[in-house]
Amino acid sequence: MMAWLKRDVAATDELGQDMVLAEALQALDPASDDPAYWLRFRSWVMSEAASELTRRRMVFKLTIEDVLVSWSKAVLPIAVAAAVVAISFIRSSRVETTPVAAAVGVEELLVVEVAPETQPVFLSPDAAAGVVAFASDIF
Amino acid sequence: MSDAPTDGDLVRLTLKGDERAFGRLVERYQRPAYAVAYSVTGRHEDAEDAAQESFLVALDRLEACRNPDRFGGWLMTIVRNRSKNLIRRESLRETEQVPPGARSRAATPDRVAEDAQLREVLEAALSQLPEVQRQIVLLHDLEGWKHREIAERLELPSGTVRSHLHFARKALRKALEALPEMPDMLERVQ
Repeated sequence: MMAWLKRDVAATDELGQDMVLAEALQALDPASDDPAYWLRFRSWVMSEAASELTRRRMVFKLTIEDVLVSWSKAVLPIAVAAAVVAISFIRSSRVETTPVAAAVGVEELLVVEVAPETQPVFLSPDAAAGVVAFASDIF
Repeated sequence: MSDAPTDGDLVRLTLKGDERAFGRLVERYQRPAYAVAYSVTGRHEDAEDAAQESFLVALDRLEACRNPDRFGGWLMTIVRNRSKNLIRRESLRETEQVPPGARSRAATPDRVAEDAQLREVLEAALSQLPEVQRQIVLLHDLEGWKHREIAERLELPSGTVRSHLHFARKALRKALEALPEMPDMLERVQ
């Protein structure tokens, strides 16, 4: 017994595992008398888990579709609204520009109608002579 | 560097229903889960049930695993709780007295009969240890986990793990030493 204990004290591996205890504890491993035990263990778990894994796959697929659908649902109305706003804005801006163009046209028309010598008559060097004519016209 | 996927990778794939990823998690943790369940229940059948059910519970509640890289520790908590619940249920409905350390595994050849005797001796010795010491000595000396891994997965300080391991081994050796047949048995298993 003492020899066993002395060997026991020294029997640790590099990980500090007690080799003698480890050997003894192997007897508690179900695979010690049934080599296929862990394969069966895994198979049982996997067969029982199959329905839940299938459900998760379906949920994940649905999730992707849901994301796309919800994305399109959210984006399409916003896009339509943005398009409507843009069209109305373009239209309203056209309406605003038309009067400006018309005003310019009117000014041009007014300028065209005015006689070119009207201003020069008052501002010309002969204005002093024109003063007499102007006074006579007025008074 | 190892190419083995991390627990986090496998958990994320399992969340999407990846069968292979879940299979790898089961392969990785089936033995430690059994060891922890055994340390709580002390019976093969109960340990098997608790460990297997724990994987299914873990799959059902996988979203609750907040840190997928620490799946192992999370699973071990489920295994411990499941094992304790199982013992509670068994003790409520148990009609026949099961002798301590009794195991009703399949009929085996002569060599296995000898191992069964060794198992009984070990079970009796282990049953004298506190639960946490049973878990640690089984994970370390049976499953080969390192102190760091045990500390991380049982959520214990590393020093506490070493201390528990020391006392567990000391108590186990003392119990084995008191059994006259142990040296012979250990000669046989080596």
